[in-house]
Amino acid sequence: MTTSGKPASFEVRILRQDAPGEPSRWERFRVPYETDMNVISVLQKIAANPRTIDGRDVAPVAWESNCLEEVCGACTMVINGRVRQACSALVDQLLADRPGEIELRPMSKFPVYRDLVVDRQRLFRSLVRVRAWLPIDDYSDRGPGPRQSQAEQEQAYPLTECMSCGCCLEACPQFQKVDLSEYGEGTSDEQRNAAFDRSFLGAHAISQAMLFNGHPIGKTSAAERLDALMAEGGIQVCGNAQNCVAVCPKEIPLTTSIARAGRATTIHTIKKFFDH
Amino acid sequence: MNQPTVSFLARHEFLIRRLHSLTGIVPIGVFLCIHLAVNASVIEDVTAFQKAVYQIHSLGGLLPFVEWALIFLPILFHGILGVLILLGGSSNTGDYPYAENYRYLLQRATGLIAGLFILWHVFHMHGWFHFRWWIDGIAAPLGGALFRPFHAASTAGAALQNGYVTTLYLIGILASVFHLANGLWTAGITWGIWTSPNAQKKIWRFCAAFGIILAAIGTSALFGMRHAGKSETFETIQGIENRMYEIRVELGDIRSSEDKRS
Amino acid sequence: MFQQRVLIVGGGLAGLAASMKLAELGVQTSVMSLTPVKRSHSVCAQGGINSVNELTRQEGDSEWLHLDDTVYGGDFLQHQPPVKEMVDWGPRIIDLMDRLGVPFNRTPEGFRDQRRFGGTLHKRTAFAGATTGQQLLYALDEQVRRWQSAGRIAMVEGWDFLGPILDDQGRCRGAVAQNLITMEIRPFPADVVVLATGGCGLIFGRSTMSMASTGSAASRAVQAGARYANGEFIQVHPTAIPGADKLRLMSESARGEGGRVWVPRTPQDPRPPRDIPENERYYFLEERYPTYGNLVPRDIATREIFDICVNDGLSVDPEKPCVYLDLTHIPRDELDRKLGGILRIYEKFQGVDPREVPMKIFPAVHYSMGGLWVDYERSASGGLAKGSPKTHQTNIPGLYAIGECDYHYHGANRLGANSLLSCIFSGLFVAPGIQSMLGSLSDSASDAKYDPLMQSAQADHQKSHDKWLQRDIGGDNPYLIHLELGQIMTSAATVVRHNRTITEAIEKVNELAERAKKCSLSDRGNWTNQNVIFTKALIDMFPLAKAILHGALARDECRGAHYKPEFDMPGIESDDPAERHRQAEEWCTKFEEKNKKWLKTTIAVLDGKGEPSLGYEEVDISLIPPRPRLYGLVGAEIIEEVWKEQHAH
Ligand SMILES: Cc1cc2nc3c(=O)[nH]c(=O)nc-3n(C[C@H](O)[C@H](O)[C@H](O)COP(=O)(O)OP(=O)(O)OC[C@H]3O[C@@H](n4cnc5c(N)ncnc54)[C@H](O)[C@@H]3O)c2cc1C
Ligand code: HEM
Ligand code: HEM
Ligand code: SF4
Ligand code: SF4
Ligand code: FES
Repeated sequence: MTTSGKPASFEVRILRQDAPGEPSRWERFRVPYETDMNVISVLQKIAANPRTIDGRDVAPVAWESNCLEEVCGACTMVINGRVRQACSALVDQLLADRPGEIELRPMSKFPVYRDLVVDRQRLFRSLVRVRAWLPIDDYSDRGPGPRQSQAEQEQAYPLTECMSCGCCLEACPQFQKVDLSEYGEGTSDEQRNAAFDRSFLGAHAISQAMLFNGHPIGKTSAAERLDALMAEGGIQVCGNAQNCVAVCPKEIPLTTSIARAGRATTIHTIKKFFDH
Repeated sequence: MNQPTVSFLARHEFLIRRLHSLTGIVPIGVFLCIHLAVNASVIEDVTAFQKAVYQIHSLGGLLPFVEWALIFLPILFHGILGVLILLGGSSNTGDYPYAENYRYLLQRATGLIAGLFILWHVFHMHGWFHFRWWIDGIAAPLGGALFRPFHAASTAGAALQNGYVTTLYLIGILASVFHLANGLWTAGITWGIWTSPNAQKKIWRFCAAFGIILAAIGTSALFGMRHAGKSETFETIQGIENRMYEIRVELGDIRSSEDKRS
Repeated sequence: MFQQRVLIVGGGLAGLAASMKLAELGVQTSVMSLTPVKRSHSVCAQGGINSVNELTRQEGDSEWLHLDDTVYGGDFLQHQPPVKEMVDWGPRIIDLMDRLGVPFNRTPEGFRDQRRFGGTLHKRTAFAGATTGQQLLYALDEQVRRWQSAGRIAMVEGWDFLGPILDDQGRCRGAVAQNLITMEIRPFPADVVVLATGGCGLIFGRSTMSMASTGSAASRAVQAGARYANGEFIQVHPTAIPGADKLRLMSESARGEGGRVWVPRTPQDPRPPRDIPENERYYFLEERYPTYGNLVPRDIATREIFDICVNDGLSVDPEKPCVYLDLTHIPRDELDRKLGGILRIYEKFQGVDPREVPMKIFPAVHYSMGGLWVDYERSASGGLAKGSPKTHQTNIPGLYAIGECDYHYHGANRLGANSLLSCIFSGLFVAPGIQSMLGSLSDSASDAKYDPLMQSAQADHQKSHDKWLQRDIGGDNPYLIHLELGQIMTSAATVVRHNRTITEAIEKVNELAERAKKCSLSDRGNWTNQNVIFTKALIDMFPLAKAILHGALARDECRGAHYKPEFDMPGIESDDPAERHRQAEEWCTKFEEKNKKWLKTTIAVLDGKGEPSLGYEEVDISLIPPRPRLYGLVGAEIIEEVWKEQHAH
């Protein structure tokens, strides 16, 4: 029995690619409808029976996932044209928006490993660039951290929810894919990081920088983070399209962080000019 | 590991981008406001506009330097960099049809239109350079440099009689005004003046109102000027401008300059 | 001078805590994980983390009481010294997490706020919004990234641990792992390997756990000779949202705030729930437990919901078992204020507004109390000896286990919010012990003399991998076998266990294991082949599944999460005072006999054929003597009275 008005099955169109550098192609699958499906369960169904609509047996589609609760960020992909998490993309809603078919693509701003699996190392590299951590002395017992007001906690908390999913980067018109193919097969970590370090940090990292700069301990290294925000590929690359905040699944106030970073870098520049 | 060569542009990306933002407002944005307001004074009275032009041209020989330093160079800097910035982005309003994203696209489109418009418009009215050989030999034959400061309203108006030209001006005005109004909003974020979504929403309304007023001023300037240059009124206005000229020459306020008249 | 190295497998809370502490101690450390560590399963924990704090102390709380609650909740099956050490560290761990920037909720004055969790009378649980696990994990992830950028920690993300490398003496010298993208198989020489690979929920098909919680890493250690302890103790959470892919947790607070559990009296009544009149609804918890109503303890709620769907056939959905958890009688604004966060989760994943339509929920496998057997060294004061290389070491020298994949701390049943504490604690505590272990070694696994060992280990795994890829097509489908395994395990070894069903399940699982070994791949390429990775993990679920089933079959008693109705000790029914007293005495005697027989750790090892054989080990109950867990039992008062009489001295 299916709920009234639900199709018996629906089509899934997936942009597939066998390996980096290989051409991509569309493949279409028909998936029987069940209640409570999301895109992960659709992919699981396809994995269990990888046969295209025209009856070809193909390799199962590769994708990433872990928590299935929209907290780990692994399963990010482009679903019906919009970047989001597969685990929280409900089939009923997708079919209501676009009857009959669901379209899945890998994120376009990161190199594809295979099918829907992409290489998001750059996203984590950005966190290193802005030194997204608290420089505490040691892990010994030194009593509690600094006391914080409710207001401070409430300002910090939303920013700490960033799960490094990459939605904000995929949707950002200023965030461009970094092409590592010029380095060929054996790209060294140094080469790769150097290439990343010249490119746009992305909204998530700007927001993390502001998170740590707002923390009483993080403040002690605020200048380093601001310098990182002002280096090549820093905050200045942002063009205020504000897509990042519109697509962030955790509804992180990214553009507020960006504006606050704009203010902090303004003041930092002036200070540096007069203090040095 | 060989140190990657970091270009000057890359090393100073932040400062350069901030300078881009700044030049958009000061001097270019401020110029646009004054320019349109001055032009619009023509509706009040052609003498008001002519007075303003006299004032500007009282700089005499310094004028070209002032023009280049305060207007042309900043515009060229802002415009060329703007094109580079524009090339570094990839608009995606198709997949992400949000208002802010459309504005991001429009900011780039209007910048480009404004840039093309300015290139042509300055040639059309002003001629870009003051050298005789350029004006007489090149600009004028190509239909440029039509403006004569001491016949300000009449010559500018005469240059705007063609319907196509008027349409292009209208597009140029609207594009420039949108670009400035929205640019003001984004600049506020860039510099960190308005940070919260609420503040940004409020300020956006303010910027929109500013844009509408400025667009109204610009449009009235355009049609006012066009009216002044109509063949029916042309003679009368030229008469007024001639009288103003003669009085000023007599008083010694300006030196007689046929270039700026005919 | 040789360079020694520690390999930590697993980047959840336990693995990251250990690696950052080791890095601080100056030990070169690698962290291996299937997923980028920031995406580890620990992010799922919502509720909070327990420790005694200044506020509870003023109500008379102490580390000792936290120890008592933990071992009482765990039905005394855990060794007490590790628990004592853990609860002693509790306050310090929260302080450290605070210093690391975890945004714990605050009181208006700026202190850390705490809430109360099940199994205790004290507000011990510190929390950061509804995402405590995520916040804790990120704080550790940030520190590890800091050490990584300083060159002290090397990240090995996107690798699947295939097994430890043991030398002729049976000492662990590293691990072999496979890259999930390139499929490269290579050895990772290490002088100590620490498994921190989390739980094994996927053995039950769907659970509240993450996709990486396959238990494959623990199983691979067991297949290399490690012991597996208390496998049969699997915690089932009463209220989860059944999804096609996962059973997502619905917090207990929904019932706490007045949620009512019911089913229509007519099986599979097709009417929308709100159209079913009151008298046709069966509020079975309220009817069966008038005193506690919907707030019966976790295990009872779990059993009743299970019973109503499986035995009474009253599931509200014809396609899957579930009951209504109804909040629709509570005003909207009140719901939003008190339960906003969790209701949004329901709405997000079910696409239905739980303020308007009753939620559908069903119990789900949630946590594995059992895990790799690990040693410990008791200190004179009853805690753990500092810096002892024995603590958290498995029976394989040089192989350690921490976090959910070990078996310490939670006994037969885990208290809410104690697991995050045990993970961070075991990670931090194990580091100095590992350092002293390294100090006692006279060589390093990276020495040239171990090259042949490394190469042969790699070659073995490579060979078996290549064999998989050369499989014929047409055999069983691994995904369907997993589905079957999950169904068998869920019906036989979760909420209610009967020896008959377990025996049947063992047969079915044995047969399934044989079929699994012969299953076919639909992808035989050698690039990002998730099909072969999954199939290998599936094959490795079987030894643990068998250990769980055998352990459950053998244990003829009820203890914590392990419930066998045939061996239940009913309460005191009589009304006559003398008879009641007599029955209570009898009850207490039976209880002591039961403990004598079953208060033992189950230890499974695999025999030559890969089948589990069981042994038992005494539990260290030197700090707090066992006493009956009487929560919700009929006649609890009289039993308690008699028990106290008998143990007065
Ligand atoms: C929904 C939910 C809510 C919870 N809420 C709470 C709570 O409120 N309070 C509380 O105290 N506890 C809670 N728990 C329990 C707690 O979250 C877990 O017990 C704990 O996070 C386990 O952490 P861990 O470090 O042991 O392992 P995990 O976080 O599970 O990490 C395992 C790591 O091992 C890696 N790994 C696994 N297999 C391999 C392999 N073969 N090769 C390489 N790497 C591998 C993974 O990639 C991962 O990095 C909850 C659990 C669930 C499911
Ligand atoms: C000559 C052609 C022009 C081009 C190609 C151009 C392009 C651009 C671009 C691409 C931006 C966005 C920069 C960013 O978001 O990083 C921008 C911003 C701006 N422009 Fe222009 N522009 C031009 C002319 C003008 C003119 C004539 C004005 C004044 C009326 C102007 C005022 C501004 C302002 C105020 C901003 C906002 C800066 C900020 O966001 O910080 N521009 N321009
Ligand atoms: C109402 C429409 C407009 C009219 C009638 C008009 C008229 C003129 C005239 C007459 C001049 C020549 C001034 C001189 O040589 O001294 C001029 C110059 C110029 N105009 Fe406009 N203009 C209009 C709109 C615009 C717009 C929208 C822009 C865009 C920014 C613009 C930018 C310029 C610039 C940069 C110069 C050269 C600077 C100078 O000579 O001082 N104009 N304009
Ligand atoms: S606001 Fe900036 S970072 Fe965000 S999407 Fe726009 S350009 Fe990208
Ligand atoms: S800021 Fe939001 S969209 Fe960006 S990575 Fe973090 S969670 Fe994802
Ligand atoms: S699987 Fe974790 S966010 Fe979807």
